[in-house]
Amino acid sequence: MSTDTYIQRAFEDLQAIFGERVTVSPMHRMAYSRDWSPRHRSAQDLPDLVVIPHNTDEVVQLVQVALRYNLPVVPFAGGTGMGGGVAAWRGGIMVETKGLNQILELDLQNLSVTVGAGITIWTLNEHLARHNLWFPHQPESKRACTIGACIGCDNDSTFGIRYGKILENLTNLVLVTGRGEAIRLGRRKASFTSTGYKLMELVVGSEGTLGVVTEATLRVFPLPQTRQVRGYLLRSLNEGAKALERLLAAGLAIDSAHMNDRERLHFYTHSYREKYHREPQVPDWAQAILFISWAGDPDVVDFSMDKTTRILQEEYGAEMVREQEMVDGWWDSKHRLEFIPFKQKWPDSQRVKKFGAADLGLPIGRLDEAYARFREIAAKWHQDILGMTVYNEAPNKSTASISFAVFVDDSTEENIRNFYEYVREMSQMAVELEGTMSSYIGDGDRLGGFNILEHGPSLEYMRQVKALFDPAGIMNPGKKFETRWLR
Amino acid sequence: MTAQDALKPYIDDIYTCNRTRCGFCREECPVYRVEGYETYSCRGKMLVARGLLEGTLQPDEEMARMADECLLCGYCAARCALHNVEIITALRETLAEAGFRAPKHQANAAQILAEGYLFPRTSAIRRKGTTPLYLGCLYQSKPAEVNTVLSVLDKAGLDPLIADEVCCGYVVEATGDSEGFARAQERLRQVYAPYADQEILTLCPTCTITLRDKYGLRVKPAIVAVAERLGDLRLEPVAMTATYHDPCHLGRMLGVFEEPRQIIRALGINLVEMEHNRTFSTCCGGGGGVTAVNPKLSAEIAKNRIRDALAVGAETVITVCPTCTPTLLRGAGRLANEVDKFVDVLDLWQLLDKALGA
Repeated sequence: MSTDTYIQRAFEDLQAIFGERVTVSPMHRMAYSRDWSPRHRSAQDLPDLVVIPHNTDEVVQLVQVALRYNLPVVPFAGGTGMGGGVAAWRGGIMVETKGLNQILELDLQNLSVTVGAGITIWTLNEHLARHNLWFPHQPESKRACTIGACIGCDNDSTFGIRYGKILENLTNLVLVTGRGEAIRLGRRKASFTSTGYKLMELVVGSEGTLGVVTEATLRVFPLPQTRQVRGYLLRSLNEGAKALERLLAAGLAIDSAHMNDRERLHFYTHSYREKYHREPQVPDWAQAILFISWAGDPDVVDFSMDKTTRILQEEYGAEMVREQEMVDGWWDSKHRLEFIPFKQKWPDSQRVKKFGAADLGLPIGRLDEAYARFREIAAKWHQDILGMTVYNEAPNKSTASISFAVFVDDSTEENIRNFYEYVREMSQMAVELEGTMSSYIGDGDRLGGFNILEHGPSLEYMRQVKALFDPAGIMNPGKKFETRWLR
Repeated sequence: MTAQDALKPYIDDIYTCNRTRCGFCREECPVYRVEGYETYSCRGKMLVARGLLEGTLQPDEEMARMADECLLCGYCAARCALHNVEIITALRETLAEAGFRAPKHQANAAQILAEGYLFPRTSAIRRKGTTPLYLGCLYQSKPAEVNTVLSVLDKAGLDPLIADEVCCGYVVEATGDSEGFARAQERLRQVYAPYADQEILTLCPTCTITLRDKYGLRVKPAIVAVAERLGDLRLEPVAMTATYHDPCHLGRMLGVFEEPRQIIRALGINLVEMEHNRTFSTCCGGGGGVTAVNPKLSAEIAKNRIRDALAVGAETVITVCPTCTPTLLRGAGRLANEVDKFVDVLDLWQLLDKALGA
């Protein structure tokens, strides 16, 4: 049978289950053809079918149909990923997971919520706020990004330095594997376990290559009474990372910490420029701008803010950013997402070129060295530097999940190749500096060709894990183990 | 003219959306909320528009149905920095040019262009006075509601003049006929010429935005004129807990958010806000001609808006738009069958008239 015949038969089988919630229409396939990753217009990446399941049983049936006709299954969530994780470049069935958007249980006694994996972080938090609760894993894409996407991509969180990433607050999940079986993985509502193998942890960052996540149980937290944000100017990036560790050693509970280089600050102060019609002023000596927030009871927050300022000024010669409007504008852009209506930083910044990043994770003492090499590597591959941000993604320690961002000219295939060459060389640098190639985007369709550099012989074990969950190789093929961009 | 010409001025915006993909427009889009496919959200439509421009997609009936099911409510635009509503209107025009225009839309536009109004009128409403009041097609077909408005305006000391009027043509343009709209514009300019230099009071938010933006007329929603005189009015208190639904054109597009709320508070009503209000309010389901092409979808969207009201404990939804009131009322009626609770929908003019007494 030809592929077209398989697709037609799969469509007929799926129609019997999903009715109008399955389509082969080119228009709908087009709407599921892209995420946020840089690519040339010639990369069409149309799936063959799009299906909207509403529950785990329906996903099981869907995967069984895919197995019957050997068609790829690609889970689609927020569609804001930067690594091509949802690009159906091998065709197949696109699973629109946002139909799985129910709140299944809110357990107030155990501060736990069980949700369909397709609920967005924003919607979940709107619901939780009615109970004076919140879920602190919050990537900047939270208006569109779903819980399933956070699990699949192991993405970043604004509040990582206090609450960690999704895994810290995930207690169990349901995975429909490539075998067409639904299994619950994890530790029920407990926050830890010493039994068995940690299969739930394998799924975090698996990018749909082991199965489709359909449900998740999450630890939630009481909403803090108040939050304050301040900015500090420092002489170097390494100094900023050290200063942060010192603040934590002092016993301060920091709610979020982000360090920008001078250029990157521009990108995050869109709201400020829109509102006040001026550029942020940063003295020439300052090479790093560290934004810190504290949350909790007002007197504790006030004390923490004063103590932080004293340590940074007295021990590190830092200056507090005097213009609080600039800091508030940064926070609007990072967390509140309160852009002036009809004005927004994302489309405003992408008109000519496109945002792209290498997202390395590094040891905290290598930042200035990495920054210098970033500038050389970007220049070598003709990338316009947008700047560098250091995110802190693990609880109570200074860490370096870094966005080395550039503006990508996506008008030619050669430019796109240059961007991915830039990512490859930055990834090599990460391994040399004893770090990791990706700290929040994932392998997607970009790192697989050379991530043996990082994983070595363990990559073969990863292939075996993949084969265990997905023996037919239908779950999101073309990701994690290969790159489509470099020869 | 090729079918894609209408989209070409927006190529830059379309590609900007395609390479951004932030998705801020998607989750609360009332149509996406019901239909579930990304295609119905603005960022999905932007990829479809790209497909048409690059020739990888061909216009067809399904695509036209999708475009016709947009409410043109502007929620996506409020979350964005692009010309979202204009692009979707251009998408409709592209599809209409290619021969795919909903028969119902075609019939409505033809009716407006032939007769000068959308709905049959029992008789044209006229009134002598000093300040021009433009009724629009919906109010012209509802003499009882017009009497209620006139009663309030009288009591507020306004002296409205209702002259000959023809349709503003919004429906003609919004359903993809820019040439027909040019004819409708020409006709209204002629008929309404005597009042072109005066401030014109209006009732329908959609007519108001069209008269302002497409004709350059000086318009003021009549409800704003009443709010300005609120201090002079003696109102009987109304005991209820209600929420206010911002009509898209009156709120998001004309910026009238506080005046209706001031009136509601002056009536002594306990006003509770829905999660999505003011600039980020969501459509009732009656925008963009959706009721004409897919009344079932319109009703589902209206039900969702009533669910929003229920979620904040409102027993009544108050609004001030001749499209929103009946659309929400339909939604409330249908939802009552599912949740066993009826949320009433009241027009602010009606409440005001009652509170102002004889």
